[in-house]
Amino acid sequence: MKKAVFTIFAPFIAILPVSAAHAASQVQLSSDVFVERIKQKSDGTLTKILEEPKLVTPGDNLVFVVNFKNAGEKPAEKFVVTNPLPRAVAFNGTSDGLETVSVDGGKSWGFLPNLRIQGDDGKSRPALMADVTHIRWNLNQPLPAGSGGKLIFRGIVR
Amino acid sequence: MSGLIPFKTVKAACFAASILGGLCVSAPAFAAGTLAGTDIENIATASYDTPSGTIEIDSNRVVIKVDELLDVTITNSDPGDVNSSPGATTNVQRFLVTNSGNGEEAFRLTPDLNVAGDDFDPTLQNLVLDTDGNGLYDPGVDTIYSAGSNDPVLQPDQSITVFVISSTPATPADGDRAEVSLTAAAVTGTGTPGTTFAGAGDGGGDAVVGTTGADATDSGFLAIQAAILSLIKSAAVADPFGGSRAVPGSTITYTLVATVTGSGALTNVVISDPIPTDTQYVASSITLDSASLTDAADADQGNFNGSQISAAVGNISAGETKTVTFKVVIQ
Repeated sequence: MKKAVFTIFAPFIAILPVSAAHAASQVQLSSDVFVERIKQKSDGTLTKILEEPKLVTPGDNLVFVVNFKNAGEKPAEKFVVTNPLPRAVAFNGTSDGLETVSVDGGKSWGFLPNLRIQGDDGKSRPALMADVTHIRWNLNQPLPAGSGGKLIFRGIVR
Repeated sequence: MSGLIPFKTVKAACFAASILGGLCVSAPAFAAGTLAGTDIENIATASYDTPSGTIEIDSNRVVIKVDELLDVTITNSDPGDVNSSPGATTNVQRFLVTNSGNGEEAFRLTPDLNVAGDDFDPTLQNLVLDTDGNGLYDPGVDTIYSAGSNDPVLQPDQSITVFVISSTPATPADGDRAEVSLTAAAVTGTGTPGTTFAGAGDGGGDAVVGTTGADATDSGFLAIQAAILSLIKSAAVADPFGGSRAVPGSTITYTLVATVTGSGALTNVVISDPIPTDTQYVASSITLDSASLTDAADADQGNFNGSQISAAVGNISAGETKTVTFKVVIQ
């Protein structure tokens, strides 16, 4: 993962036709992934650190960070962020717990405890974190000009 | 127009996931986890409303490649000790080697027949790969292993049975045991968990030693089963007058007790005894464990050929006793 990819996004915004996109109210979105490692400090205690995911193997804990910012001059109404989960990653919760999720590829949404899924035996069972295919945050309020934030979710490499 | 592009991307992402994963849910069903070389690709999308309509945007695309975890397990799959005997050849011991990593990997096999602390050391004849996968040693069908030339290449979660073929020296005694171990090690490399081999991973990433250290050893035992036959003969005399004097006309009943000690079994045991001179065999007097036998060489075990009796008692397991009796009359 290269930071350079992030900066490529800016020109992409710029090519939006002015008539359709109202360049003045553009929202910027960037995605970052880190891998969580447990390291032993010099005093012997263990500490968790986030590393660039140079080396990733099954079972590793990943931390996904989605940064958003309204770089325009007008508020963005009905701001919704959606993150389809990579197939090789099992969902492991968000930092805020305010997300809705989908366990059917984005067709239907809800809070995970309320969702059910058809199990391998054909019977319906409560959906688990490992069943999540998409995560969505619905801010339910306009994103004012100049404001932004970050959404964090965790996943485990299957 | 541009706003549609991210929308298509979202649909395509789910479509691809649907094809590959059924319900957009399932992960590859490997115990070892995601295959080495798989790209984990993440794109977030956002939508918001403007006076002129809804706009959808994509974030940058983050791609990380899953690296290869080097792990292996090995288990001796014999149900217990493998029986052998002094001087025996082609003792077959089975081991199951499993690639518990997440990439295709070759494994080097190293047997050790001289493990310390046991009773004797067998000699390696061959290490054989169960080429036809039936779990049984098939000489001439299964491939003889040669380190470095045909190291078995296993897919994640795949297993192969390896046979250690050995011979037993002539010296061990009944009950002696020999430990035989087999080690399987990832050819890419082994070491303490976390050791990294840059660029050596299956699928183009790095290779990382997993919790098993990328090598594993297990052992099984050969056990000597040596059966020893002892034969004890006794005689009881009955004279015609109700006493036990050996006079002409007295009947001698000979009793032959065959006892097998040790362990295992002796096969095709035949107990025979010549009729002593100056005595005459009493027809149809052979018994085996109190059951009468005929004198003819026929289906039953008894036989009298004119000069000796014999009883083909067959197999005797260790701890068993067979008793044969016959009678002669003193001339």
